[in-house]
Amino acid sequence: MTVQTETQPDAAEAGNDDLQRLAELARLVTAAQDALSDEMVSRLASAFSEGITLLDRLTRNEGLMHLLREIDRPENQRFLICLSDAFTKASRDISAAPPAKGGVVGLCRLGCDPGTQEGLRLVSLIGEHLSESMRELHRRGG
Amino acid sequence: MRILVVGGGTGGTIVANSLARRLSGEIKADKARITLLSASDRHMYQPGLLYVAFGQMMPDELYRDQQSLLESSINFHVDPVVDFQLNRNQLTTESGKIHEYDILVIATGSRIVPEEVPGLVEGAETFYTEEGAVKMFKSLREFQSGKVGIVVGVPHKCPIAPVEVTFSLHDYFKARGIRDQVQIKYHYPINRIHSIENVAKWAKPEFDRMGVEYETLFNVREVDVENKVVKSEEGTEYEYDLLISIPAHRGVEVIEKNDLGQGGWIPTDRYKLTMEGYDNVYVLGDTTNLPVSKTGSAAHFEADVVAENIASIVKIGAPVTEYDGKVYCFIEAGHDRATYAMFNYLNPPDLKPPTKPMHWFKMSYNKMYWTSVRGLL
Repeated sequence: MTVQTETQPDAAEAGNDDLQRLAELARLVTAAQDALSDEMVSRLASAFSEGITLLDRLTRNEGLMHLLREIDRPENQRFLICLSDAFTKASRDISAAPPAKGGVVGLCRLGCDPGTQEGLRLVSLIGEHLSESMRELHRRGG
Repeated sequence: MRILVVGGGTGGTIVANSLARRLSGEIKADKARITLLSASDRHMYQPGLLYVAFGQMMPDELYRDQQSLLESSINFHVDPVVDFQLNRNQLTTESGKIHEYDILVIATGSRIVPEEVPGLVEGAETFYTEEGAVKMFKSLREFQSGKVGIVVGVPHKCPIAPVEVTFSLHDYFKARGIRDQVQIKYHYPINRIHSIENVAKWAKPEFDRMGVEYETLFNVREVDVENKVVKSEEGTEYEYDLLISIPAHRGVEVIEKNDLGQGGWIPTDRYKLTMEGYDNVYVLGDTTNLPVSKTGSAAHFEADVVAENIASIVKIGAPVTEYDGKVYCFIEAGHDRATYAMFNYLNPPDLKPPTKPMHWFKMSYNKMYWTSVRGLL
C-alpha cells in the first residue's frame, strides 16, 4: 500500500514530463513551419535530390570504387601523404629556383641531377604498370 | 535476353533504370541487353504543369535530358515505334530500323484530345501542355472579375486534377484580393463531384467552405466561343468569362493504328501487367486499360512490379510478384495545404485533413521526382 502511494506521484510526474517534451517538440515543428517557405523547402529538396543522385552515380562508378578501395590500403595512404608532401616541397623549391635558361646544356645538366633521374625512374615505372593494366583491360574486352 | 522498353515517360524510364540496376551482372556478362526507345530526347515532369499555370514554377524546371536520367548500360534511341509485330517479337521504328526482343515493355502513355469537343480548344484554358499552362497563367493574371467555369472530359489524366485546380483557383484569387468578385463553378461528368467516392465526400465540404459552386452530370458537348457559353450533353448551359478545361485523353495513336487496344488502351492483366494474349509483353502507366488512375504514381508502382518480374524471369525463370493496384496521389488543397489519397484494388482512399507539412512533402516531391525516375525512390 505504501509502495502504491509512493509510485503514483512518480508516474504522474513522468507523464507530465512526457507531455512537456511533446509540447516542446510541437513548438519546434511550429517554429520550423513558420521559418520555412515553399521556396526554401524546394531548394532543400532539390539539393537533397541532386546529392542523392550524385552519391548514387559515385557509388555505382566501378573505377571510382576501385580507386577508393586502393586508397583504403595503408601503403596507398602513405603514398598519398608522400604525394602531398612532394607537392608542398616542389612548390617551395620552384619558388626559390631561378628561371630555367633553356638550351641543350641546361637540359643535360638537369638530366645529370640524381633527383631528376629518380623522378624519371618513378614516372617510367608508373607508366610501365599503367600500360600493362591497360593492355590487360583491353585483352578482357573492358 | 533482349529487353525492349518503348516509351521514355515515367513508367518506361523507371522500368529501364530499375532493370539496369537489377541486371547489372547479366548486362556485364552479355546475358541481358536493355534498349529504350522514346519519341523525345527530353523528359517532362508533367504534374509540374499545374504549378506553371499559377506562376509557381517556370517551364524549364519541368525538363531534363532523357539520357541524363538513364543508367549508362541502357541503349537509348530517340526513334518512335511505328509498327508492332508482336507475333514475330519485333517492331519497326520511324527510322526504319527493326528491333527484335525477347521481352517487350510498352509504356507509350496518352495524349489529350480537346479537339473532340467543338470549341473547347479555342474557348478554354488548359494546363495539360507547357504552352497551355503558360497561356492559362497569363489569362489568370489578366482576369479581374466574373465567372470562372471548370469542365472535365472523360476519361482524363490524373483524377485529382479537377479538384486541385479548383482549390488553386480559390487561393489564387484570394491572394490577389479579388475572390469576392469571382464566381467559381465546378462541373463534373458523373452524379457526384468526384469519381472516387471518398474524394467526393472530402471535397464537398471544402468546396462549400470556399464558396465554390458545383454542378454534377455535366458532360461537355460543345463550347460556344463567341457567346462564351459551355453546353452539356444533359442539356444544361453555363455562361462563363473564363473557362478551364481538364481535357479528355486517349492512348497514343500508334497503339490504335496497330490495333493493340481500343481507344489506345491496351488490354492488360491487372495483376501480372502483361498484355492479354502475350506473356512476354508488359504494359504499364497510361497505356493500360486497367481501372486505376492514370497518374505517374500508378506508372511508378507498376514499373516496380514489371522490373522485379522481368529481372526474376532472367535470373530464375519465373515472375515473383503482382500489382495490387496501388496508387498514391498528392492532393494540393490550395497553395499552402495538401493531403493525399492512397488506394489499391481492394481498399478505397481514406483522406486526412490537409496540412502544410503535406504541402511541403508535395513541393519536395516535385524536386525528388528526378531521383524517383532514376529508380532510386
